[in-house]
Amino acid sequence: MISTYRLNNPTSPYLALYRHFAIVVQMARRDVVGRYRGSFVGLLWSFFNPLLMLVIYTFVFGVIFKSHWAGQVGGKFEFAIILFAGMNVNSMFSECANHAPTLIIENTNFVKKVVFPLETLAWSTLGSALFHFLVSTLVLLLISLLARGSVPWTFVLFPIVIVPFLPFIAGMVWLLGSLGVFLRDLKQAMGIITAALMFLAPIFYPMEQIPPHYRDLLYLNPLTVIVEASRDVLVWGRIPNWDLLGIYTLASCLFAWFAFVWFERTRRGFADVL
Amino acid sequence: MSSELLTIAVESLGKKYDIYTQPADRLKQMILPRVGRVIGKGQRAYFNEFWALRGITFDVRRGETVGIIGRNGSGKSTLLQMVCSTLHPTEGTVHVHGRIAALLELGAGFNTEFTGKENVYLSGLLYGIPEGELRKRYQSIVDFADIGEFINQPVKTYSSGMYVRLAFAIAAHVDADTLVIDEALSVGDVRFTQKCMRYLRDFQKRGTLLFVSHDTGAVTSLCSRAIWLDAGRMVMDGSAREVVEHYLAVQHAADRASLGESVTVRASVAEAGAVTNGATMVSATMPVDVVDPRQDVLNGAATRNLVEVFDFDAAQISNEFGAGTARIVDVQLLDVDGKAHQLITGGEVADLVIEAEALEVIEAPIFGFYVKDRLGQRLFGDNTYVSYCDQPVHAQPGTHLRAHFRFRMPVLPSGDYSIDVALATGTQENHTQQHWIHDALAFRASESTMRHGLVGIPMHAIMIERAGA
Repeated sequence: MISTYRLNNPTSPYLALYRHFAIVVQMARRDVVGRYRGSFVGLLWSFFNPLLMLVIYTFVFGVIFKSHWAGQVGGKFEFAIILFAGMNVNSMFSECANHAPTLIIENTNFVKKVVFPLETLAWSTLGSALFHFLVSTLVLLLISLLARGSVPWTFVLFPIVIVPFLPFIAGMVWLLGSLGVFLRDLKQAMGIITAALMFLAPIFYPMEQIPPHYRDLLYLNPLTVIVEASRDVLVWGRIPNWDLLGIYTLASCLFAWFAFVWFERTRRGFADVL
Repeated sequence: MSSELLTIAVESLGKKYDIYTQPADRLKQMILPRVGRVIGKGQRAYFNEFWALRGITFDVRRGETVGIIGRNGSGKSTLLQMVCSTLHPTEGTVHVHGRIAALLELGAGFNTEFTGKENVYLSGLLYGIPEGELRKRYQSIVDFADIGEFINQPVKTYSSGMYVRLAFAIAAHVDADTLVIDEALSVGDVRFTQKCMRYLRDFQKRGTLLFVSHDTGAVTSLCSRAIWLDAGRMVMDGSAREVVEHYLAVQHAADRASLGESVTVRASVAEAGAVTNGATMVSATMPVDVVDPRQDVLNGAATRNLVEVFDFDAAQISNEFGAGTARIVDVQLLDVDGKAHQLITGGEVADLVIEAEALEVIEAPIFGFYVKDRLGQRLFGDNTYVSYCDQPVHAQPGTHLRAHFRFRMPVLPSGDYSIDVALATGTQENHTQQHWIHDALAFRASESTMRHGLVGIPMHAIMIERAGA
């Protein structure tokens, strides 16, 4: 059951997901459950982790630094919540980005010993990250409700804000996963790259603090649009910038297509070097 | 041949490995030559070529069982991997009809971090079995594997035996049309191996089997046909027994050659010529012989007791003694037709031939032999004394004498055996050993129906009666 795709079709990345959905779910589930296997509270960690992170943010930024977001009013929790909304997006991204270069190398068996639809590994990696992301978002909404007494109605738009992000991440996993097989240095470089992207996105600071002529540059960071948009709908209660999201969706899909083609073209070489 | 009858069609298949000194070279090779073509610059290759397999063509019909033999590195596993399409052929094509389940080398396909249960589901999905169907078969798979609580442990904690048990159990439950098995069975314990063999024999009735093994005994007993690969080329494709015999013979010659000798592969024994010199075979024709009534059953492919014979080699003799008026120059174990086979069958008539050269005048020579097991225990033996005591043979220097012992080879438990041969002069009670060779001939028995005892003797009859009344 080796899958072949018509690579000149831009929907081929999603066909991979559709065809092997059961395998993707199985792999993602095992990834999520496997991470907490043997621990005392198990899956609850995926809930406690973001909660404790939020407590730390509150203490450090709300109590010690007494940080204030430009134009922000409100109590100790306010800054932490704003920060947390951005950090969530970054966490999902960096979790996948840091894992991607070793994804294929760790699964040598799937390359050499069995007929495995390797392309699904990107989707299942994304699936497990998405799970944690959604739990974190739930924690965020819960804390906002408790700390501020309400949640902006715009949170219902959240899925629409996040969907454009997903092809980009999948594409990144295909690209880095493939390159990681041939360039073993990539794994080492990823830590610094994800850190740079985190600081070069408006996560710790509002876009308005950036000098105007640098702002456009910041939009080249794939995180920027999504961080801004998800903060809009989850924290500020604003309608996101649909134009930007539209462009982002297009770019994200094109990137995913390119990365998928790259992955499919280079995967023949995997077995030679693993 | 119509295509419905073919399960596997392999056409001038070849696999080239490009050996890269570092992984980045593989990437350069994918990109730089194309860039080079575009900008019109010369290209350089970043690898060394190695053909693991080349020019392989064969068909497998539905229901056939084909064994693949060859030394390590001869391309067997590469071939199987291409048949299962885990490897892309460099040239040629492979067509496989129907679902194929593979049991490739140890550890194949399992994710070692997953538990056995998770691996069952994952492998099942990879074979294309829907999840609902998998849930139904799960218990049956677990029962077959029989690894107890380990099914809920990560596979990395498994012993190699448990690994194979689980892998085999899964492969047995996917309703495959073709089963591909690569030396996996050798690590299981006896009971599980028997279980697998029972399953395979049953599977043979409905499906196609491709079987790789170093155990030539298993290949001859299980397969009707065998393909012999050497250094990536197909050497022979034919009946399993024939191919195995040639394979063993050539293997043996190669082993000898590596010691700097040249050994010609004996296809059959040379004619006796002027050797017997007056000594007539006392019983050239077969006397009344006890044949086990189960002979036909026992010799069915499944239970045949194969005895693999290793050639006598004078240079290899390390342990010998004797007065030295005569010298044993050759020892062979032949089948009933007088042919030297690499394989004979337990329960069938065999002919042990001992040839000696007289160095001085010898009177009343006595030839004798012992068959010993691995532990050196003497199982049986005999000599020529009684048959010739009233008509002693004598030989001039330079003459060759050849003694035959024709007997029904007992069914032997699986294991290694050797034969001591000796030539003495004198009488049973008072004789001089002229030449005694320990372990002159070695052989190995496999696939035995014998479980207890040292040797199996033919039974005249076996019956159950109601006693009393």
